Amino acid sequence: MSKANQYDAIVVGGGHNGLINAAYLARAGLRVVVLERRHLVGGAAVTEEIFPGYKYSVASYVVSLLRPSIIRDLELVKHGLTILPLESTITPLPGGDYLGRWADHDQTRRELYRHSARDADAYEDFGTLMFQLARAVKPLLGVVPPNVASPGLRDLRTLLSLGKHGRSLSRQEVHALFKLMTMSAADFLDEWFECDPLKATMSASGIIGTFLGPRSPGTAYVLLHHYIGEIDGVFRAWGFAKGGNGMVSEAIASSARSRGAEIRTNAGVESVLAKNGRVQGVVLEGGDTLTAPTIVSGVDPKRTFLQLLDPGELPEDLTASIRRFRIRGSSGKVNLALGELPEFSCLPGRGAHHRGAFSISPSVNYLERAYDDAKYGGFSRKPYMDILIPSAIDPGMAPPGRHVMSIFVQYAPFDIEGGWDDAKRDAFGDAVVDTLSEYVPNLRDAILHRQVLTPLDMQEEMGLTEGNIFHGELSLQQLFFFRPAPAWSDYRTPIRGFYQCGSGTHPGGGVCGAPGRLAAREILKDLYK
Amino acid sequence: MTADAVVIGAGHNGLVAGAYLARAGLRVVIVERRRAPGGCAATEELWPGYQVDTGAHSLVAIDSRVARDLRLADAGAEFLSPDPCIVSPQEGGGALILGHDAARTAGCIRRFSERDAARWPEFLAAMSRAARTLSALYATLPPKLAVPGRGEVGELLRLAVRLGRTGRRDAVELLRLIPMSVDELLGEWFGSDAVKGTLAATAIRGICQGPMAPGTAYMFLHQMVGADGVVGRRRQLRGGMGALGETLQRIAEAAGAEIRLGRSVKSVTVDDDGRATGIELASGKRIAARYVISGADPGQTLLGMVDSGELAPEFSRALTNIRYRGVCAKVHLALARAPRLRGVDGSGADAASPCGSGAAEEAVLAGAALTIAPSIEYVERAYDDAKYGRPSESPVIDAVLTTALDPGLAPEGRHVLSALVQYAPFSLADGQWNEAREEALGDAVVSALATYAPELPNLIVHRHVLGPAGLARRFALPEGNIYHGEMTLDQVFFGRPLAGWARYRTPVENLYLCSAGTHPGGGLDGRPGAAAAARILRDHKRGRRRNR
Repeated sequence: MSKANQYDAIVVGGGHNGLINAAYLARAGLRVVVLERRHLVGGAAVTEEIFPGYKYSVASYVVSLLRPSIIRDLELVKHGLTILPLESTITPLPGGDYLGRWADHDQTRRELYRHSARDADAYEDFGTLMFQLARAVKPLLGVVPPNVASPGLRDLRTLLSLGKHGRSLSRQEVHALFKLMTMSAADFLDEWFECDPLKATMSASGIIGTFLGPRSPGTAYVLLHHYIGEIDGVFRAWGFAKGGNGMVSEAIASSARSRGAEIRTNAGVESVLAKNGRVQGVVLEGGDTLTAPTIVSGVDPKRTFLQLLDPGELPEDLTASIRRFRIRGSSGKVNLALGELPEFSCLPGRGAHHRGAFSISPSVNYLERAYDDAKYGGFSRKPYMDILIPSAIDPGMAPPGRHVMSIFVQYAPFDIEGGWDDAKRDAFGDAVVDTLSEYVPNLRDAILHRQVLTPLDMQEEMGLTEGNIFHGELSLQQLFFFRPAPAWSDYRTPIRGFYQCGSGTHPGGGVCGAPGRLAAREILKDLYK
Repeated sequence: MTADAVVIGAGHNGLVAGAYLARAGLRVVIVERRRAPGGCAATEELWPGYQVDTGAHSLVAIDSRVARDLRLADAGAEFLSPDPCIVSPQEGGGALILGHDAARTAGCIRRFSERDAARWPEFLAAMSRAARTLSALYATLPPKLAVPGRGEVGELLRLAVRLGRTGRRDAVELLRLIPMSVDELLGEWFGSDAVKGTLAATAIRGICQGPMAPGTAYMFLHQMVGADGVVGRRRQLRGGMGALGETLQRIAEAAGAEIRLGRSVKSVTVDDDGRATGIELASGKRIAARYVISGADPGQTLLGMVDSGELAPEFSRALTNIRYRGVCAKVHLALARAPRLRGVDGSGADAASPCGSGAAEEAVLAGAALTIAPSIEYVERAYDDAKYGRPSESPVIDAVLTTALDPGLAPEGRHVLSALVQYAPFSLADGQWNEAREEALGDAVVSALATYAPELPNLIVHRHVLGPAGLARRFALPEGNIYHGEMTLDQVFFGRPLAGWARYRTPVENLYLCSAGTHPGGGLDGRPGAAAAARILRDHKRGRRRNR
């Protein structure tokens, strides 16, 4: 075998976590190659010109939790990452009114007063508590989950340090955390607010990527994510990457390359080779073989353990855990190229709000009804939507005077009754455009091109099993030391030299990068111990 | 009048707590609003000759330690436990029959799915293991969930050791199961609608959630504690469920407790130091006591009977945030004779099969609960109605011919059918519960049952409906919640009734809680009452030592 195909480490999948992992390994002096099946890197964080002249952030569309330490370590700003703040979140209401929350704190307060004086006051206290809780939870994002099934010394040390951290919290914080981890977003918010659209819009962040409704227990804790992003202090909570979310991936890739990592596109991995419980190399789809003593999988747990590897190489309880790991996709994406700026009837004309987000979540019942459709195997006829107009934030996304619109849509079950086909994809796209047209009268006539991604499309095009955007549902029993399986939540696998670094590991999904970084840390620990 | 301890409410938990305290030598007075003891374990003669269980018509099991300590068996309570225990008729014909014998039940499941039948014994073993681990948790005080100080660390360690003893793997597995939805739990094992729907119905009882909601797997396991590995295990008492209260009354009285029926408590009296000193009755009469133990729900006790000035505003706010959301109703029918179940296909072969209509009918006539929950989707859709503030159009029903095992409950040849119905939300989207709505609910239940027992409507001699508001009034249940607080994950263990107050004490010194609204929650098992008494006795001993 030629020396060219021998590496110190091979990373399977060029999504953001794979790239981050490779960058850290390369930084430590390893000869690393990233193998990406598609013609471009980024996985679900890609910018593509599907319609000439118009750039779509095809799937993932905002930056929220990207760890500041990663931005610093990998010098992502130097490598082209610019995050533009979002001005606002507007929730258009059926009667022609709207509920707005703005980057400007006082403006938000005035706006909330307009809807409910009580909520405007509660919003302050709520924010304070959530900041405290976010601070309490944040250290967990940087911890390798302990193995509680058969704890070793290292695991006990982790537990001890977590216990110590726990002791620094106040009684009120501990109680609120307990409630936050177990309650539904709607119930949790009910204790604070009365304004339905406010509760709906806030609880919507708790259902993104889940197959649950806002009244389902376990949806409250995601409310914290928003605030965790905010205390990082580097960027505002939700930002837009200049050039689209693909630029996040490009910046990481550029950083990795500058440290000597090799990135191969159009290089899908067929399988991972293991012998006597030790990893050997990978076989590419074309049949080529690459070897390395360390192989890292950035793809989801189902693919990692059930497809890349021969499950016969793995202990049965692990494959059983992975088989029942829930990874139901529940969302879709619609990208539009528009001939003119969309106008919202609740806020006529051009304004700062165009540089913010729009949330179609007029009431908690609206979201629940959307969920009901999905429970019984259909897409939501009136879906929840989280919308950006990237070209209004970054004019480079579309030709002058023209626009692109990014619409995250929920719910769209992977297991739709009868299966997804072209007709259903079109009907799904129509439901989105029809619903949105109720709030944006000029939308339909402005559409030049429409891209509709169903969960099946996300599986086929981006390799997300069942189209789940988080590589596995973020339900309580699939978090921390359960992610993706008890005893295998420390990025290692039963195969020596074979590691996992995707969102299917702690702390999970979103363009956060922590799994890629923590996995690199564990790998380097094993190599240099 | 003075006592060592006064107990508010002679529900089963109040009686159990009172009995334990009296046995320890305390002078105990138990005060009850109604004219009969037992609380929700109530049997009333609604029509001459018909003894009807107007509250609960089944229990899984009295906690074995409570039964042993109080010598329940010697006190004359006779528990009847039918086998088979559940008959779940299916829309496509046939019925799923669950009984005590795993192999026999598997034989019946085979009719619906070969694969599910094969997995049944293994499933029972796994659930029994999880229930065993859970019952270990039920036998301890939940940790305080506060900033762990020295004492709490010790308790946490003890809990860890206790869990470790049941097996670390089992403990981790339980931790995985608890937050799951029952849909997900059952999905890991079974494929057939019949099995999943029937089992899911036991996991949503008393909560305003559907089987697809996270945390319902916990409720399934909660029902398995004390069930000796039998899904759907049900027991009733000879003479009606009211016999439970009467038996516990006899036990408490024999131990020296005094029980006063027909007396409402107006308030808990508190001295200047914020210590409970006794109670004041609606009549104005006072009973002084060193300890006050409330079997009323936590909200009613602390917000209704204690002066609001005694509580910190945050604590009061947390109390008002306890979710009750009653969703149950009861429908009681007096029947001219036992109803026949619909023949499935009329052929002789069906009647002879272990799951045929013949076997199903026989089981119901032997006391099995007739469960209407043919699929998860059926149950979830019933919940959808409640979610938007409407009673279920097609409700989930657990109906028992209580006279099957105990013919003495009705005149010769006649029968009583008691149905627990879900979902009937306490808070309606439009208006309030009233008689017309209750009758409409009664109609819906009779017509749902008539799908499987077509002649039922013609057999009804009397009908009585208790909606959630009716249950709330009759049994002083908060918003009609049968468990004194929804058993959702945030409101169990450390969180029951409130985070930081899961150990039967309250901010008012010497005022304790012992109802189903405390750990480990609802079900007629006596655990909260016994645990509260243990806590009081420990404090009592400590106090005496201090005074010495």
